[in-house]
Amino acid sequence: MKCPRCDSDTVRVMTKSPVGDVWEVYVCDTCCYSWRSTEDINVHDVFKLKPEDICKLQHIPPIPPLKSK
Amino acid sequence: MAKAYKDLREFLATLEKEGQLVKIKEEVNPEPSIGAAGRACANMKSKPAVLFEKVKGYKYSVVTNVHGSWQNHALMLGMPKDATIKEQFFELNRRWDKFPVPPVVVPREKAACKENTITENINLFEVLPLYRINDQDGGFFLSKASVITADPEFPNDSNKLNVGTYRIQVKDVDRVGIQALPFHDIAIQLAKAEAVNEPLPIAIALGNAPLVTFMASTPVSYIQNEYEFVGALQDGVPTEITKADTADNLYVPAHAEVVLEGYIMPRVRTCEGPFGEFPGSYSGARLQCEIKITRITHRNNPIFENLYLGMPWTEIDYLMALNTSVPMYKQLKETIPEVQAVNSMYTHGIGEIISVKSRYGGFAKSAAFRMLCTTHGTAYAKIIILVDEFVDPFDLDQVMWALTTRVKPSKDVTVIQNCAGMPLDPSSNPAGMHDKLIIDATTPVAPEPNPRSVELLKPSPETPKWEEIIKNLMAASAK
Repeated sequence: MKCPRCDSDTVRVMTKSPVGDVWEVYVCDTCCYSWRSTEDINVHDVFKLKPEDICKLQHIPPIPPLKSK
Repeated sequence: MAKAYKDLREFLATLEKEGQLVKIKEEVNPEPSIGAAGRACANMKSKPAVLFEKVKGYKYSVVTNVHGSWQNHALMLGMPKDATIKEQFFELNRRWDKFPVPPVVVPREKAACKENTITENINLFEVLPLYRINDQDGGFFLSKASVITADPEFPNDSNKLNVGTYRIQVKDVDRVGIQALPFHDIAIQLAKAEAVNEPLPIAIALGNAPLVTFMASTPVSYIQNEYEFVGALQDGVPTEITKADTADNLYVPAHAEVVLEGYIMPRVRTCEGPFGEFPGSYSGARLQCEIKITRITHRNNPIFENLYLGMPWTEIDYLMALNTSVPMYKQLKETIPEVQAVNSMYTHGIGEIISVKSRYGGFAKSAAFRMLCTTHGTAYAKIIILVDEFVDPFDLDQVMWALTTRVKPSKDVTVIQNCAGMPLDPSSNPAGMHDKLIIDATTPVAPEPNPRSVELLKPSPETPKWEEIIKNLMAASAK
């Protein structure tokens, strides 16, 4: 299974429904996108990501320099 | 003394009694039903809370739109549900001055949030019926959590204990992302922990007494304890808190439905978002912090409280309306006593309406300048409308009257270029920079010329009597 947002094949089952066997939730370990098997997923082009671009996204908040303890 | 609610359940009981809560007994799909219902409530006139008793695949119930109407907002304050916005504003102002009212710390065995404890095989989905709020969100979000953290430099200073609302994305069964923008209080604490590569202990309380959630969303000073404000806004009734299990210096609402405990992993940023945000548009994906959940406590049959947010107005707007207006009013009134009321309700105070009595020509504009000097107003306030002291700034009919009959654009409209702006406002470019617009819709007073002064229409003294007669007749015909 490929991630509908970043097209990576790093998708795994995050969990199954606690009651009955009615859905699964998947998560992409590359871009953290998650979705339920019962959803009709349609990620708009503007929200698609390339795996190589993820490290270039803005850090919020910025990581401060390390101080000696 | 006004009615104060001990917990979410007491408030839901009042909402139901007052016809402001509906229960969906049939099983629903998590998507798109719960988000769609949240939007539907916002579109309605009386905007009730909605409790979903059965959600497909889950054990427990979900409630949404608990704060999402002026009726619910009034009931939260223990006021009649038809209280006007202006009446609620002045009641909040009155109670605000009771700060501080210290909370009562109750022992673990008396705290309902500790009825059940999970420390192994943590799976958020076992406790919370999680769902996607808007279809382009990057996952399932907690949109209405009260997040508790302390200052690592002053770990036992309760004034610096922070209770805030931040968006939280579920990343795994025991891991969530959190948005801590640099100007948020939590970011001050996180920076101190990350500078020495230490985790920051955190508690996330879900399903709280309504004024706890309200105060968690209110911009107060870093050194003001939100729990002490809850007691003030409960008209002097202290709120009950209890010690977190995993950190001695964190205190959580004692009767929360669910409390997640854990820590922010230091110096870690992972992909978070997009998320449909309060300006009615999505914020994009960014690299943001992650929290490891190590413990869950919850009440028996916990209720998951979450909110819908979308194109204003939706539930979130009621949680950043009067609780933005009151602190703004207090700050302006301190230096300009002629300020009568401040409406900071539109998009978290990007739009501002100030009612002020002009002492002399040009005086009203000073209230706009003062607004732009407040901490919140410097970045957020973009469109400032000044109206006379007899205009109710919460009544847009009256405000439009002032704009249409009092403004001469060539002299009353001022644009100040290149100021600070709110980055989530999509018209801010570059993000964080904006212009300021001041519209002076007050009546000119000397020495400003007023060449066409007018005699205002005055209501007959009998008008209040007739309002009462007509109201009673309408109530009788509705029965």
